[in-house]
Amino acid sequence: MNIFGISINHNTAPIELREALHLNNEEIDQFIPSIRRDLLGEGVVISTCNRTEIFGFPRDLRTRAEDIRDYLLKFKPIENVENHHFEYFFSCSAIKHLFNVAGGIDSLIVGDSQILGQVKDAFEYSENLNFASSVLRRIFDTASKVGKRAIKETRIGEGAISVSYAAVQVVEKILAYLDKKTALVIGAGETGELAAIHLRDKGVTNIVISNRTLSKAEALAKKIDGEIIPFETFHHHLHEFDIIISATSSENFLITTEHVKEMQKRRKGMPTVMMDIAIPRDIDPAVRKFDNVFYHDMDSLQIIVEQNLKARKDEIPKVDKIIIEEMANLFSWYNALGVVPTIKAFRDFFEEIRQDELGKIRNKVSDEDYMKLEDMSRRLMGRILHNPTIKLRELANGKSDEQVLKNHVVVLKELFSLKSEDE
Amino acid sequence: MLQTIHTLNVILPFLYLVAFSVYLYDFMKEKRVLTNSKRIFLFITLIIHVLYLVFRTIEFNHPPITSKFEIYSVLAFALVFSYFILELLTDIRWTGYYIIIFSLIFQAISSIYIVDNYEVKEILRSRLLGIHVISAILGYAGLTISAVHGLLFLKLYKDIKLNKFGLLFKRLPSLEILEKLSFYSAVIGFVLLTIAIKIGVIWLPSAFPDYSYLDPKLLATATIWLVYGTGIIFKIYAKWYGKKFIIFSLTGFSLALISLLITKIFESSFHTFY
Repeated sequence: MNIFGISINHNTAPIELREALHLNNEEIDQFIPSIRRDLLGEGVVISTCNRTEIFGFPRDLRTRAEDIRDYLLKFKPIENVENHHFEYFFSCSAIKHLFNVAGGIDSLIVGDSQILGQVKDAFEYSENLNFASSVLRRIFDTASKVGKRAIKETRIGEGAISVSYAAVQVVEKILAYLDKKTALVIGAGETGELAAIHLRDKGVTNIVISNRTLSKAEALAKKIDGEIIPFETFHHHLHEFDIIISATSSENFLITTEHVKEMQKRRKGMPTVMMDIAIPRDIDPAVRKFDNVFYHDMDSLQIIVEQNLKARKDEIPKVDKIIIEEMANLFSWYNALGVVPTIKAFRDFFEEIRQDELGKIRNKVSDEDYMKLEDMSRRLMGRILHNPTIKLRELANGKSDEQVLKNHVVVLKELFSLKSEDE
Repeated sequence: MLQTIHTLNVILPFLYLVAFSVYLYDFMKEKRVLTNSKRIFLFITLIIHVLYLVFRTIEFNHPPITSKFEIYSVLAFALVFSYFILELLTDIRWTGYYIIIFSLIFQAISSIYIVDNYEVKEILRSRLLGIHVISAILGYAGLTISAVHGLLFLKLYKDIKLNKFGLLFKRLPSLEILEKLSFYSAVIGFVLLTIAIKIGVIWLPSAFPDYSYLDPKLLATATIWLVYGTGIIFKIYAKWYGKKFIIFSLTGFSLALISLLITKIFESSFHTFY
């Protein structure tokens, strides 16, 4: 399979270069027609914040992976990029790399499932621009299958890998029936917002936001269908909440031991989870001394994140196994796309129809008429099948455009539901 | 039938050993394939254990409560049966091996020392005694399960406080659930113990002329009953949360264990049947 792949990703290049080479949809709209005209018969461009990858079948057998890189750099010139910032793949290695990406084991955060959607979208984008056909579809369908199997059959995507999600994971180990719990999120910045969204996703319905800038609190409250309380008075409401997450940029403690002492007194000792995901910290860590007060800060939550990342990395061999299985299936299918078995299957298909129809009239006509019909139908079938057969043989005898031949074979097989003997 | 009883007597500890191993292995490794199969295996073990107890009752013409080793077997069954019901109701499958270990120990001791007992004291054939003993055993099974969940609660509580996010953190349900499991098991245990005491108080004076309210076993049981009763009342009316009730429950369980030792010392008690 003469498929090429090039990749600039988090393993090979710093973020500045990755950002500089990122192609948005408008750029891809321009890039694809151009590269199709000059270099690749078909292909797919995957471009995310962490990687830009191009996979494709070259028009000319003399094309090298480096030509694709040069073409990309000509399209989007950037400075300081060097050869080692790219990875180059051909045939098996290109497929393996694509499957690694789709399976989430080549991601910056191992097990990131977002990339699977991005790979699928990239293929559909190419297909809509008529830059991808049957064989490439099969390859990307298999990549998608790898990603799904990795999620379903392994734990590559399990466990919190962000501090805000880890905070919610700890909440779940302390409290149950989250739909009946109340939560206060102090700070409506990016971290606070993520924490609020995670809480809502876990079923906490009563979420209250408090933020120095009221408009930000209102915006977040609207987003998660929550409520707000003024930042100046949130101390007076602490006892109303089972979960308190603080993520502000305050230089001093917003919640002191005195606040928590008073809070627990009013809560009559009911458990309270306090997550301090701010730097510098918002909550005095001494509050952890109180019974039924579960205080955690960035350091402790980072332990969970690191454990989960390690657990995900331990799952890589299982995903590798899935990749090898799917590669074997893909190449078995690809190798079965031989033209001779397909021509035979194609002709057998029509011959079967001819025999079937002749059988239906065998007892309704005389022997003489039957012979004429038999002869006529053979000639008719011969004429119908002549051009497709010749065309396929011509393609098969040609020295280039193997991909075009494969695509014809796939189309033919799909149209007539053909199966070669070796399938 | 006797041959079947002997065979089952040998098989049962091994079944509990396998169940314990599977639950332990699943706890350590979390194998999805074991999620349902371990529950099915435990169910089969319970069925076999029921058959064993029924066959003994038929063959020896008395309920299997006439020796401490028969009672150990009933206790082993009661513990796993109670856990199994809890697992079905809550779908929490990770605390099993902490319970099954007790059944394994009790059944193993029972299987080694149990004897075929055709001739027993007439009093041991009493139906009221049967209900008294069975409800007491089930009650203690409930209290044991409460204690196990209480211990798990304390361990997880401490781990979370100390930022230890290990295997227990991953596998155990939330503290709130553990607290509820401990509380409900204690309530069920307490109710059954109340029934056992009630029957005992009604039946014992008529069955034993030397009946005494100062019998060590009676006093110990009454103390345990009082501790649990107080804990449950405070939990419900004084809204105790977290560690407070758990510590009460564990205190009650410790008392139960101590009372076993004390009554062992005072074996001359009228409350000794074998």
